[in-house]
Amino acid sequence: MPETGKTRIVLPERIGRDEVIRVQVIVQHPMDTGFFRDANAVIIPAWFIHDVRVSYGGEEIARFEWTSGVSKDPMLSFQLRAVREGPLTFVWRDNRDREYTGSTEIKFAAA
Amino acid sequence: MSLNEPIERRHFLQALGLLGAVATVEGASGAAHRLSAAVRVTRADPGDPPPIPNEVVQRIYAERFQGRPIQTGRITLDIPLMAEDGRYVPVIIESDLPQTEEQYLKSVFLIVDHNPDPLVTAYHFTPVLGPLKLQTRIKMKRTSWIRAIAETSSGELYADYLKVETSLNGCG
Repeated sequence: MPETGKTRIVLPERIGRDEVIRVQVIVQHPMDTGFFRDANAVIIPAWFIHDVRVSYGGEEIARFEWTSGVSKDPMLSFQLRAVREGPLTFVWRDNRDREYTGSTEIKFAAA
Repeated sequence: MSLNEPIERRHFLQALGLLGAVATVEGASGAAHRLSAAVRVTRADPGDPPPIPNEVVQRIYAERFQGRPIQTGRITLDIPLMAEDGRYVPVIIESDLPQTEEQYLKSVFLIVDHNPDPLVTAYHFTPVLGPLKLQTRIKMKRTSWIRAIAETSSGELYADYLKVETSLNGCG
């Protein structure tokens, strides 16, 4: 069963202070455009994430505007400077005004 | 972690393969090159960006760029080999522009000219992000120019344009 809003965040195993790291994130969501029909020829209504907020250590660091043009189960990777330890949190909001959250901890590896 | 790692790894390897292919076949004039039997990707000439195709894209340009000049370069858009399926078109956007407190990439806009909603995504960043190296997957309704346009903290605009021919409608 799909679990809408379920978020997976993948970070490098070892993170050093001020290192530039690759953050990969995938969130389960149908991202329906509203233009397709199901097997009974009934329109599948538009349902997609349109607003993404990324925070790091409690501070908003990025915001993404999405549309239904982003593929089902959206995947994104980007680079982040690991300047502090703290939670990295994604808040996804869709066009049905539902909100989903995924979070992980950024921790520095012992020297 | 185990859920998406194999998928991600596969895409990444494909992306690397494409970058190699582009490097070897791309001519000085940005001539069309065939990536596979089903997909053609054409890079725009630096001096010859694709024309604005319709009113919707015109409106996006007016709202987001207010008529400011857009230079070609400093940002690279790449599409790996799987674009024959319009539901999952992998996209890589990279830039050598700095990401520091003094000067940084503020926004990146991804526009697919012939999609129902051409502004597929807009990313807004702060200096804590690293240099731009972004991967995602988007949908394409049909063959179209794709525009990646970056805006710096001082308001300069840089772009790269790829024409991607795709067969399976991913938008409905």
